[in-house]
Amino acid sequence: MTAYAIRRFLGLIPVLFGVSLLVFTFIHMIPGDPAVVMLGERATPESLEKLRKQLNLDKPLFFNLEAALETKNPAALFESQYFSFVGRVLHGDLGQSIFTKVDVATELRARFPATFELSLAAMLIALVVAIPAGIMAAVHKNSWLDLSVMTAALVGISMPIFWLGLLLIYLFAVNLHWLPPSGRLDVGLEFHPVTGFYVLDGLLTGNPEVTKSAIRHLILPALALGSIPTAVIARMMRGSMLEVLNQDYIRTARSKGLAERVVIWKHALRNAMLPVITVIGLMFGTLLTGAILTETIFNWPGIGKWLYDGIGARDYPIVQGGTLFIAIIYVVINALVDLSYGFFDPRIQYR
Amino acid sequence: MKRWIIGLLALSLALGVASAQTLIYGQSDLPKTLDSSDAQDGNSLRVAYQITETLVAFKPGTVDPIPGLALSWEASNNAKEWTFHLRKGVKFHDGTPFNAEAVKFNIDRWNDPNNKYRGNKQFVPFTWVFGGFKGDGSIIDRVEVVDEYTVKFYLTDSVGFFPNMLGASYFGIDSPKAVMANPEKYGTPEVGAVGTGPFVFDKWVIGDKVVLKRNDNYWGEKAKVDTLVFRGIPEPASRLAELKAGAIHIANNLSPEDKVTIDADPNLRAVVQKGLNIGYLAFHQKNKPLDDIRVRKAIAAAVDWDAIVDAFYAGLGERATEFVPPAMWGRDGNIPAYTYNPELAKKLLAEAGYPNGFETEIWYMPVSRPYFPAPQPIAETIATYLADVGIKATLKTEDWGTYLSDYDQGKFPMYMLGWSPDYPDPDNYLFTFFGPTSIKTNLGCESAACEEIGQLLVEARTAPDMATRQELYAKAQRMVHELTLSIPVAHNNPLHAVRKGVEGWVPSPLGSSENLNLVTVK
Amino acid sequence: MATSEAYMRTPTQQAWRRFMRSSSGKAGLLIVGFFVLLALFAPLLAPYDATKDRNLRERLQPPSVEHVMGTDELGRDIFVRVIHGSRISLRVGVFAVAIAVLFGTILGLLAGYFGGKIDMFISWLIDIMLSFPSILLAIAIVAVIGPGISNAMIAVGIVQIPIYARLTRSVVLSIKEQDFVAAAEGLGASRSRIIFQHILPNGLSPLIVQGTLSIATAILDAAGLGFLGLGAQPPQPEWGLMISKGFLYFTRAPWISLFPGVAIMIAVLGFNLLGDGLRDALDPRTQR
Repeated sequence: MTAYAIRRFLGLIPVLFGVSLLVFTFIHMIPGDPAVVMLGERATPESLEKLRKQLNLDKPLFFNLEAALETKNPAALFESQYFSFVGRVLHGDLGQSIFTKVDVATELRARFPATFELSLAAMLIALVVAIPAGIMAAVHKNSWLDLSVMTAALVGISMPIFWLGLLLIYLFAVNLHWLPPSGRLDVGLEFHPVTGFYVLDGLLTGNPEVTKSAIRHLILPALALGSIPTAVIARMMRGSMLEVLNQDYIRTARSKGLAERVVIWKHALRNAMLPVITVIGLMFGTLLTGAILTETIFNWPGIGKWLYDGIGARDYPIVQGGTLFIAIIYVVINALVDLSYGFFDPRIQYR
Repeated sequence: MKRWIIGLLALSLALGVASAQTLIYGQSDLPKTLDSSDAQDGNSLRVAYQITETLVAFKPGTVDPIPGLALSWEASNNAKEWTFHLRKGVKFHDGTPFNAEAVKFNIDRWNDPNNKYRGNKQFVPFTWVFGGFKGDGSIIDRVEVVDEYTVKFYLTDSVGFFPNMLGASYFGIDSPKAVMANPEKYGTPEVGAVGTGPFVFDKWVIGDKVVLKRNDNYWGEKAKVDTLVFRGIPEPASRLAELKAGAIHIANNLSPEDKVTIDADPNLRAVVQKGLNIGYLAFHQKNKPLDDIRVRKAIAAAVDWDAIVDAFYAGLGERATEFVPPAMWGRDGNIPAYTYNPELAKKLLAEAGYPNGFETEIWYMPVSRPYFPAPQPIAETIATYLADVGIKATLKTEDWGTYLSDYDQGKFPMYMLGWSPDYPDPDNYLFTFFGPTSIKTNLGCESAACEEIGQLLVEARTAPDMATRQELYAKAQRMVHELTLSIPVAHNNPLHAVRKGVEGWVPSPLGSSENLNLVTVK
Repeated sequence: MATSEAYMRTPTQQAWRRFMRSSSGKAGLLIVGFFVLLALFAPLLAPYDATKDRNLRERLQPPSVEHVMGTDELGRDIFVRVIHGSRISLRVGVFAVAIAVLFGTILGLLAGYFGGKIDMFISWLIDIMLSFPSILLAIAIVAVIGPGISNAMIAVGIVQIPIYARLTRSVVLSIKEQDFVAAAEGLGASRSRIIFQHILPNGLSPLIVQGTLSIATAILDAAGLGFLGLGAQPPQPEWGLMISKGFLYFTRAPWISLFPGVAIMIAVLGFNLLGDGLRDALDPRTQR
């Protein structure tokens, strides 16, 4: 098991290397150049050249053949934009935004908790709704309950998130005034965040008002973001439960006269959860990294919207550093999900 | 005794509640930087303006220059030398005294490309206003400290409106000590900014808000609120939603068509600001056949501009005929508006050799601006009118920062753009649009007539008396109209709204120079 | 006897029978069929030229008898635009999936059949692509090749390639071991012949099911790109773009965003139902 885990994680290294290569190639293929964007209308060729030099954009992208030939030193081959980026990343330096001069790491520290909190809330809603709904649908197969749960789930995966978000804002924020339309916290509240997770921070610093406000702000975006995981998990739960309920040992348990409740909640659920847990893990990875549309609509200060703006502005360090960060999170979560098979299902042997 | 204590407690509680006043301002984005001279957008400048102040200020809600950090100024040697007498006894928030050395430090930092306190910043707005950096087009030659409270500017040329230029909100005076401590990070969320203004930088929560506190040692009218918070809410509809929900006190630059919604809400009050902006549709003549005057005139005649202004400005905007708005001098005053005449348009197109039209592109900005509150629908409408006469115009847009750096590259055949002035002078409009360089780069016109327009504007910049300048500006605009270099569309009076109980807020016609210290919240 | 009857039928007939027994399959077929007909006959039902459509006097009208879904900021009838939007969204969905299936299957076949270094390299590429959330990858691709409906289609297609590559690879791996392939190889059949005559047809069922479900995802993703301004460009009546334009007016005229969203939802629902039904029909081992 440990050996497998180590191998699984070592396997991530070539993938992440490929990711860095892909991200780097991509962003430099985007037409436009941050130096031009920065200097704006009255840029002269000289000032552009100077700025490119200052931003390290004058070096070749991958291999510095010229420098290597000139200095007769093969190491100079790597005096390129890509390798200096990789070198900095290996030293833990993700660079700083070209335009705002803020460190990418600082932005990530400030924004990741926002994204994480939102994803967690969305997942929580999904679990609370989907798992009981899926189980009930499986147990009462082909009943009206099953039909309505499955219809609702299908509708859930068929709705565009951004549209659902707009509807929620229109209904609950603009018209009914029940919940705030955007942001993370009532602005008037004064407190000093500890972890960056506002719900938790409110409790830690003894500010129940902060926690309350943070939860109120979370509800609408979490509902929108959680719609798809809810639907997917409910479908998965139902399918998995049905499969288990058809198996011999459940029939045996039933024939032994165990109460249906015990059969379902004690014997069946345990085994039915296994594939569902996989899906939950994968979905969580997607939520953490793919909430661009939800963050845009709810003006949520997370990484998705920031990265999207970074791409538009050709802010190379933001896109390079931010995407790499996201990719790391994503592949690590996937690896953990893989490993969790062994944890939840001891029958699986890792070789 | 006990009762006395309780009474005191209650009193202090009451005071505590009464004094903890917060004003929350919703604008379309958080700042990009608080280093004002490196900031190119109104959202950054509006926040920076509360912290740092300019030498010359403007009377709230107007464009009349009044003393700022400078008490008075005078010109000598044919407006080539300007002496500024500074306000005494003013201190930066970090305790550094404000004096002539501080002013010289700031100007040198911006003007001298080799200054060691620039912190790798480009100070692009400085080049917009002053023409370049020292030795490379800047009209400021050098700054001299005369005595502790007197500075003298030596210019390369006569400029009669130099004080107005210094009043542009880019040129907030920063504490030399704070800048020197970390020139590169100065103005970022981690460091903030240090000035002399009515508010002190408190904190900037990335992606969320900027919090400023009242400066209790402010030399002028102290802020009425304790805390001033800025939030960035990109969509106008979301800003209005937040205002309706009571989460912000001021929402600026709303969609004109939401005036009805605001008027219908008893908790809100609409604030319509007298605008000094201009929204226009420009032609880049590097793109054929837009270099043909008949084609440009055909386009001007093909579109019902009045209908567009009626529809998308909800009665708040007015049809533009010149590039300088009516509230400003330097207009001809008698230039006729382009009238809707599709038949004429077809005739002109046929004459130019395009009886069946041609294919081109219209670029529109991706964000709403005071002068174009709804750029995309306006562009779509223009395109439908062009389709009526056979011109097939594809609609295009891109990231706003990239857009601003691309329009002068000749990449956009037709593009929508506009302007809110940095300083109140016709020069700030016309030189920007049609100055000798702009007319070539922004419009791609290299004809003799365009050369002449550029020269007229150079002349007007340095002409000694108002009458001469007025005539030069009028003449330049007449030529622009005759050549149909670009089409002025509208001057908008931007719509803002506040919660009832918010008093004393006067938006600035210059866009970002607002005096939020005068605002009260009930 | 039912069993002997089933025995007499071809596999296609059996599948069709199973499909018609699945209520979600029927409902899906009905919805998808409706949208296909709508897309085909939209030009006849309501001739429309988006480049010339405007009616500034009738702007922002709420739904009424005259305009059943109201009008938008240019005074255009939203109902007509929603109908014509079906042409765009269906095309995008089908073509994007076609791109994904084509390239994904080729990669998967290569990896699965040849194995070794080729497999390692292709699997590495797939792993890299799967390390990004799909919407981010699509945004990045559009940023490189430029916005527009065709490019959005390509981007959405590329993003889905790994799904098909993996699917095909696993199908090939499982079939390769089976006797009939070994027999064909033993009889000296060429590799391409084996792939196209033996392996591919056997892997078709999961591809069809996945393809149908992918059309649903592709429609949603393309609408998301449209919402961000990276997909269809105005004045095209693309549903995602229509929703995003309604954002500017949504406190005053919510119907601008409402109806295109309903259209997306129903169309996507149709493909999802159809996919479920096809799975029942083509992959009878799955439990319902």
